[in-house]
Amino acid sequence: MNTATINKTSALYKMLNQFELGDNISECLTCGACNSRCTWFDGEGGPLPRQIIRMAALGLDEQLVNSNMLWDCLLCNRCTQGCPMGISMDKVVRKARSLAIADDNIPKDIKIGIKNRIELGDVNALTKEEFVETVEWVSEEFVDEVDDPNAQIPHDIKGTKLLYLPNPRELGINLLHLTAMAKLFYATKETWTLSAHHTDVTNWGYFVGKDDIAKKMVLMVVEPAEELGVETLVLSECGHGYHALKYLLEDIIGRKPGFEVISMPELIVRYAKKGILKFDPEVHPYKIAYHDPCNIARKSGGYDAPRELLSMVCKGVVELIPNREDGVCCGGGGGILQDSTSKNKRMITGKPKADQMKATGLPNLATACLSCHRQLSELSNHYKLGIKVDTVASLASESLII
Amino acid sequence: MKKTTPNILIIGGGVAGMAAAQTFADQNVAVHLMEKESALGGHAAMWACMATDTCENCGACLSIEMADQIGKQKNIILHLNTIVETINKEKQGYEVVLENKETFRVKKIIMATGFSPFNPGQINSLHYDEYKNVITSAELNAILREERLSGYFNGKPDPKIAFIQCVGSRNREQGRDFCSQVCCKISMRHANKLTHLYPESDITLFHMDLQVIGKEVRPLFNTLSKNIALVQGVPAEILEDNQTNMLTIVAEDKLTQARVSKAFDLIVLSVGMQPAQTLEATAGMLDLKPNSWGFFNTDQAVLSKDVIIAGCANGPKDILSSKQDGRVAAAKVIEDLGLNTKKELNIAVFGQSVQADQTAMVISSKGYSTYLFGPGTSLSKDAPVTILDESNIISVSGTAGNFSLYYESGNEKKYLACAAIIAAFEPKQSLNRLDSLTNASLSLDAFSQMIEKTPDTCPGNSVILLDYFGPEFKSFARLALEISIKAKALGKNISIIMNKMLVHGALGQRLYDTARQQGVDFFRFETSEDLKFENSGTGFLIKLKEATLPSIELNLNCDCLVLPPSLTPAAGFKDAAALLRQPLDSEGFLQSANIRHRLTRSPRKGIFFAGTCHDETDQDDLNDEINDILSGFSTESFDLPEIDTGVEINQKKCAQCLTCIRVCPHAAIVMNEKNRPQIVPDSCFSCHLCVSSCPAYAIESKTLTNDQIAQKIEKDKVTILACERSAALAAGSLTLPDNITLISIPCACRISSDVILKALLNGASKVIVTGCHEENCRSLEGSNVADASVRQVLSIPGMDASKVVWEPVAANETKKFERIISKV
Repeated sequence: MNTATINKTSALYKMLNQFELGDNISECLTCGACNSRCTWFDGEGGPLPRQIIRMAALGLDEQLVNSNMLWDCLLCNRCTQGCPMGISMDKVVRKARSLAIADDNIPKDIKIGIKNRIELGDVNALTKEEFVETVEWVSEEFVDEVDDPNAQIPHDIKGTKLLYLPNPRELGINLLHLTAMAKLFYATKETWTLSAHHTDVTNWGYFVGKDDIAKKMVLMVVEPAEELGVETLVLSECGHGYHALKYLLEDIIGRKPGFEVISMPELIVRYAKKGILKFDPEVHPYKIAYHDPCNIARKSGGYDAPRELLSMVCKGVVELIPNREDGVCCGGGGGILQDSTSKNKRMITGKPKADQMKATGLPNLATACLSCHRQLSELSNHYKLGIKVDTVASLASESLII
Repeated sequence: MKKTTPNILIIGGGVAGMAAAQTFADQNVAVHLMEKESALGGHAAMWACMATDTCENCGACLSIEMADQIGKQKNIILHLNTIVETINKEKQGYEVVLENKETFRVKKIIMATGFSPFNPGQINSLHYDEYKNVITSAELNAILREERLSGYFNGKPDPKIAFIQCVGSRNREQGRDFCSQVCCKISMRHANKLTHLYPESDITLFHMDLQVIGKEVRPLFNTLSKNIALVQGVPAEILEDNQTNMLTIVAEDKLTQARVSKAFDLIVLSVGMQPAQTLEATAGMLDLKPNSWGFFNTDQAVLSKDVIIAGCANGPKDILSSKQDGRVAAAKVIEDLGLNTKKELNIAVFGQSVQADQTAMVISSKGYSTYLFGPGTSLSKDAPVTILDESNIISVSGTAGNFSLYYESGNEKKYLACAAIIAAFEPKQSLNRLDSLTNASLSLDAFSQMIEKTPDTCPGNSVILLDYFGPEFKSFARLALEISIKAKALGKNISIIMNKMLVHGALGQRLYDTARQQGVDFFRFETSEDLKFENSGTGFLIKLKEATLPSIELNLNCDCLVLPPSLTPAAGFKDAAALLRQPLDSEGFLQSANIRHRLTRSPRKGIFFAGTCHDETDQDDLNDEINDILSGFSTESFDLPEIDTGVEINQKKCAQCLTCIRVCPHAAIVMNEKNRPQIVPDSCFSCHLCVSSCPAYAIESKTLTNDQIAQKIEKDKVTILACERSAALAAGSLTLPDNITLISIPCACRISSDVILKALLNGASKVIVTGCHEENCRSLEGSNVADASVRQVLSIPGMDASKVVWEPVAANETKKFERIISKV
């Protein structure tokens, strides 16, 4: 058996047990509620939530880092939802991941992605020139898409009402998604733009818990957007991007930004309610299940917009059980999806989700996060569920009446 | 006869309201009693009997009996099925308008609005509203009372059942950072009952810190820990397995260090107490403001001098405490309105404890001549208490209001006449030590003194070890919390190692939260095997297998190891019990656990108990106990006109064998000046045990002679002899079939074998003897007497075993009564 001595001067202890300030995990009641709510459920391996908290509360940094639980945790915060002392596992695990002694445990792909983003401005190392080339090429195709010779996908225009911040995949393997979003922007009849400084909604600094990196990445979005003088920053469907750039934004940068932040589904719902965007639900003449991305739903309170939108573009929404604040993680959260070696593990972490999907008996499921989308599609294949997975905004684009 | 026109209103006809009303009625003070439901009794009347082989002392049946008694009182003006519509404050008192438009004026109001069980529908992840087999403890009570539990198990003889504690309690985020205090007891009794109903069942009780507190709970805990799984950690999510339809809970498995899924047929959510839904509106009309929890149990609440809060409106309480609280509230009103006829009474306090000193001082301050028999008292000689510290009591004779203490003082033998006796002895307090250690540990008391008086000498690192030498007494757990917060404020490191934290009392949870917030470290162990102690320099090294981190052995170094003492019955308790003619409880503390007399009283009128000699008491409890006892002095008149006991001794037949004096559970038969036994009506409970026990048939019942009972027997019908406090009440609402004759008797003590035989000889086709469960009888012996009499009859050669049965039936076991009669 391992022996250990509690250490009230450990780096983690100092960060998490600030007795005057709240967020004080020494307050843990050891009630064990978190143990019953891990999104791995009874899957093989994985974290033991109360042990994480207890090790952190007692300054057992090394034991925690060596336990492998830090990177098995999906940061879904499901376990501490309803913690009687208000402890947040997401905060605890990210702080622990940020420890210098935990650096070796950071997945290689995440280290590279962070380096690319900080040094080159994009997680996939997309250069400004490549961005312009790509967007202009897509823009040419877009004319046919909307059957309007004057239509275009604008970029780097100052003073527009809307600025779209895509997922890096939309400028890579998933260009069709970008076109689909452009169609929606076009239909809002508002001025809008893409920007060479805004190719990446992600924030992997958040995954590694390093506040300085996370802040830098946020500012890489905020400052150029302020320079462009846009009114509203529209986030591509991304869970942790939404959490960092909308829910945590003011905490991270310590001030209000010079623009409003909303997600793509929120934008679409807004314009639909104004009567500007119209949809034909017959394009998707079926009921559809909806998966709550943890970062958008439980962690940021964004429950309603995706559901409202789905009910406009399909024949109704079917809830997974459980859902909303009790929603089950897709199994790809917390940075695990970004680690290319994680496929086998992700099929274990995603098993509870796959069971949930199967229980709906439906062939269609939507979500509002491109990472969840990828993981859910892989689950559908792996577990032979035969379920087609779409993002909410792409379904809206398909149903859009122009 | 009304002493007054009613100028008191009691809002709420639950246990506290009824206890208050009864207290007024006993003093002939007229009151209004208002209840929103159509019947008195409150939640307790909806609860099931928890008895298994014996009574489990929950007290639920009392509410049925209390309601029955209140219905018979002419001085209580009942307003059922209504609520208060408006209350207008007037120059003196209030004008009250009820919803049914009845209007009256009162000077004082007792607000006993009770509680509402927490609705777990608010916690989505428990799926209480969706899954049929997720139920609350309140519902389990109803299900057990109505005997429909089998409907939840699909005929399985071995159902898997889980209890989840603290649902709606101990949650700061939800604004309920208090312990509801009763839920652990309720669930433990429930689990115990289920192990008897389903011996093959597999029961897991998930708890946060099982509150094992009190004389009736400790033995129950010992039994349960052998029969069910007691698991620390409360699951927060229940799901249903699609394939098996079983309810599933994920929990950490300590052995495999994995999250495992556990399946259950039934999950019981042990829901906490919330203020009654009506409390806020009622409080508003009275210009009162409850605290943030909605109760009146902290200083934060705003009160008024003309409104007394009683029962669970004062915070979570069990049935017996609610009853006590109601009684105390009534006594306060009686005193405030000057309705009591204060008597000159001599009161004797027995015991050498601090608690005895305090009891004597309070009693004396209320104007009673107080005599303290306590060697080594710390009261000074000029205290307003007669201190008989060098005295040794030889005997206690007489009855309430008229006791005679015979005692030895120096070489002199003396008598003291007194009205009542309060036993407040000190239990044995033994210092604990760990034999393997040569370095000296510190007692909790010494550590506490050090922090208070010489904080400079307090070492930098201290560990307080709770629960190691047996279940901790709650006052030591509380002291450990308080003192560790103080030590922390002095900048010292302090840890508490425990099996469970007893967060009893209104502010216990907040105190525990504060301690953690201030950086006091808490460690859990499961069994004493998880701890190893070594000397380390002048301090200690503790090797701990911490319950929440089972794969790591923690090394804790400390300069100072603090051990609370163990409390056990003192050597003198046996003699004290004999002197007072009172039984000890199963652990050897004073006072039986019998709920008919708890919390402070005894079957022998005028004998009271206070403090740790009879139960775990902290300072708040002791204050409540003393007030309760005082309410007994001011309201329980010791010189009432003689009541008819229904029993008399035929001196011509009396052989002076003294059997009656020996058996009387109430010590109500004394020798008179002619050296003949005499029944003292004020102390007699009319149990008739003397009648059924007298070998010379010299003690005669006026209305229940063997012949009189026999006359009521109807030929070829089943005769049910039913105790009027239990089975007869259970039968009360039923229409009995024609083939049954029910004869109500004052107590099962009356059932001698003669009575049963007479019934059979007179043609009864069967005799069913029913009464309280063992240990629930107000006269202590009823169930034993009835059971023994039935066995005696059955032992007669040729007796048909199906002809005579003994069935304990509590007042709240109507369904059981129905089941019994449906078989005949």
